Amino acid sequence: MTHVVTSNCTGCRFTECVTVCPVECFHGDAERLYIDPGLCIDCGACIPLCPVKAIYDLVDVPAAQREWIAINAERAAPLPVMRAKQAALPDAEAQRVALGFA
Amino acid sequence: MATIQETETTVLGACPHDCPDTCSMLVKVKDGRVTGVQGNPDHPFTHGRLCAKTNHYEERVYHPERLLYPMRRSGPKGSGQFTRIGWQEALDTIAARWKSIIAESGAQAILPYSYLGHEGLLNGLTVGDPFFNKLGATVSERTFCDSGACTAYIMTVGPTPGMDPESLAHSKFILLWACNMLSTNAHLWPFVAEAQRNGAKVVVIDPFRTRSAQLADQHIRIRPGTDTALALALMHVIIRDGLVDRSYVADYTVGFDELVEHVKPNTPAWAEAHTGVPAAVIETLAKEYAQSQPSAIRIGVGIERSAGGGQLVRALSCLPALVGAWRKPGGGILQLPLWAFPMNWPGLQRADLLPPGTRVLNQWELGRALTGALELDPPIRSLFVYNSNPLIVAPDQARMRTGLAREDLFTVVSEHFVTDTARYADILLPAATQVEQDDLMFSWGHLYLTLNRKAIEPEGESVSNAELFRRLARVMGFDDPFFFRSDEQMMRESMDWANPALAGITLESLAGKGYARLNLPPADQFAPHANGGFPTPSGKVELKSSIAAGGNFVLPVFRQGSNEFQDGSPAALLPTWIPPREAPKSNPALAQRFPLSMLSPKSHSFLNSEYANLARQVEREGPQHVLVNPADAASRRITEGMPVMVENARGAFRAVARITEDIMPGVVLAPLGYWAYRSAGEATPAALNPTAYADLGRAPTFSDNLVELRAAP
Repeated sequence: MTHVVTSNCTGCRFTECVTVCPVECFHGDAERLYIDPGLCIDCGACIPLCPVKAIYDLVDVPAAQREWIAINAERAAPLPVMRAKQAALPDAEAQRVALGFA
Repeated sequence: MATIQETETTVLGACPHDCPDTCSMLVKVKDGRVTGVQGNPDHPFTHGRLCAKTNHYEERVYHPERLLYPMRRSGPKGSGQFTRIGWQEALDTIAARWKSIIAESGAQAILPYSYLGHEGLLNGLTVGDPFFNKLGATVSERTFCDSGACTAYIMTVGPTPGMDPESLAHSKFILLWACNMLSTNAHLWPFVAEAQRNGAKVVVIDPFRTRSAQLADQHIRIRPGTDTALALALMHVIIRDGLVDRSYVADYTVGFDELVEHVKPNTPAWAEAHTGVPAAVIETLAKEYAQSQPSAIRIGVGIERSAGGGQLVRALSCLPALVGAWRKPGGGILQLPLWAFPMNWPGLQRADLLPPGTRVLNQWELGRALTGALELDPPIRSLFVYNSNPLIVAPDQARMRTGLAREDLFTVVSEHFVTDTARYADILLPAATQVEQDDLMFSWGHLYLTLNRKAIEPEGESVSNAELFRRLARVMGFDDPFFFRSDEQMMRESMDWANPALAGITLESLAGKGYARLNLPPADQFAPHANGGFPTPSGKVELKSSIAAGGNFVLPVFRQGSNEFQDGSPAALLPTWIPPREAPKSNPALAQRFPLSMLSPKSHSFLNSEYANLARQVEREGPQHVLVNPADAASRRITEGMPVMVENARGAFRAVARITEDIMPGVVLAPLGYWAYRSAGEATPAALNPTAYADLGRAPTFSDNLVELRAAP
């Protein structure tokens, strides 16, 4: 049971999602965010907030993105919890446009 | 050529489910179809979140297996074979059968069966009560959840909202007792987390390391059904060590001197022997609870589910007064804040229409009632099920199945899907989902009234429950205009709008933003019992309960408004230890055969049996499983993933073993809700659950249940 942060987050890291998480299950590094699957309660509140649609319910992760299920599970817990909104990465806006979410 | 696309609109809705959170739900509609739902970001409690159950409510609405038309059985009972018919034929068939049954046996041969499959004031708990009361059918005593806790709570502090759930953010110490908040009350968690960030200690008391226990500061594992011993020992320490708020107790409680004597034997060492909780842990818990004010206790629905569950809630309802927790916002006990809502219960249930002397049948009796074991006169000849799936959620599953298979039993089921219960219907009726109907929602977990607006026309020929009972009233020849009120008129008459709690709130104002907070002080100022004022006979916290002197009872709201044929068995005046019926210590003979205690709580992704047929939720939860401690697994040579049989003298079901330290030794946990005909076998955990009542309010004793595991053949 969990939601998954997929590839679109890499290089953007807008972090709107962390502001609504009721269980503080987002962890982050310099590039992107990961969800701790042991904590996520599948409330789904983060999905509509992501400007680049990077977050999916596990059940809905597209086939080409399914590697991120394991990556989130491995990397999330050791990284620091991210609970407050941070500035997006410098190229985030450009990447959003490139991804077609302008 | 470009076509003109209808733009997406948003309709303000409300989650219909039996959950304390009653979310404000934004329903997105395009071209007359629901495209998605979302938690309302503006709602202070919903906060933009729904849950693992309802995030994709549209999948429920448009599910290919949804029941969309009335059906008539076309195969053997239980085969699930049905043929589509029209509404008129369905209604005429029901009316003809009922009229002949009433003529031959009297109306009490008809039994309604429902609970909170829907929670709205129009389509929920009470929707069928006026109809069946007027008909004179057997009264259904519905004690699925919180009835025992309600009786106990009211015996102690009266029907008070007590705490604003949001005030937990201001607590300094929070005790989550038998409450897996992150799975069953998830929208309250952020308030707990806020308190925790501000330095409050959060302690979870549970045999299972729940998600909430993982996030708490301390998790205290306790043997199932022994919590009253812990609660009494907390009182013992608080009194012994002078941690009592003497002036609060003197001014606002009755029975303190007797309680002091009463709990003298309930030492931490005594409690350790029963609960398995070390005496030193009990000592510390008592001190921290008493000295960290305001302190709060949040109890879960399952807390009542053992032989002494009522006394447990009596004890827990006494504790806040002993330590003066009620003095400040964020202190007290949180049971059901629904008491804040000025409901017009008499108008919703119309017990005045009930012929005097109409018998009352508790819902745990269904299996026995249908199989002649109760020797009812007249016997039950027709069963009408709505808002419930008894075959999966009620005990005595095997006998119920035998009863439902009776050729002479005329069964009608109103549903969204062909559930295990619905497979036994003679007539199936299609029920509307929440996006296809209007409703007004109260809450048993926050202080907001929420309006649910119809977003789309009903799929197929499905109808709201309110409309269902209008149609039934018509074919049964009722002529009182009360039975033909519009939805809007029903809403207007469902509450006492002149009550100060509703000052400034109207249906019109609700239509604007979808919800309104009751006219009560804000959470950071909400301390209704800072200066006593409890709605009990004495106006005080009744440590020694005057209401208990009248004996055990079920609140009339849980029995169609009827107050006849109450249980009446004696109830202790002071909170008292009642050991579990089925536990190694209290029943060693039974424990020789069945040494493990079984819990069967709600699954994270199902709401009882709802959603347990939907692919998304089933994929998340996997097949029916049972959690087993490694020690218990090893001694039975059970390994991870092995198919096992879980059994006791009442029944057996098949499950996959999941071995984990999250469940304490001697206890197994099997989530309830899986559908039998979609599982490996005929049975589910309810097959093992006892029908025996808890001590108060005829609560179930589903957690007072010994079982054994073995490898499946």
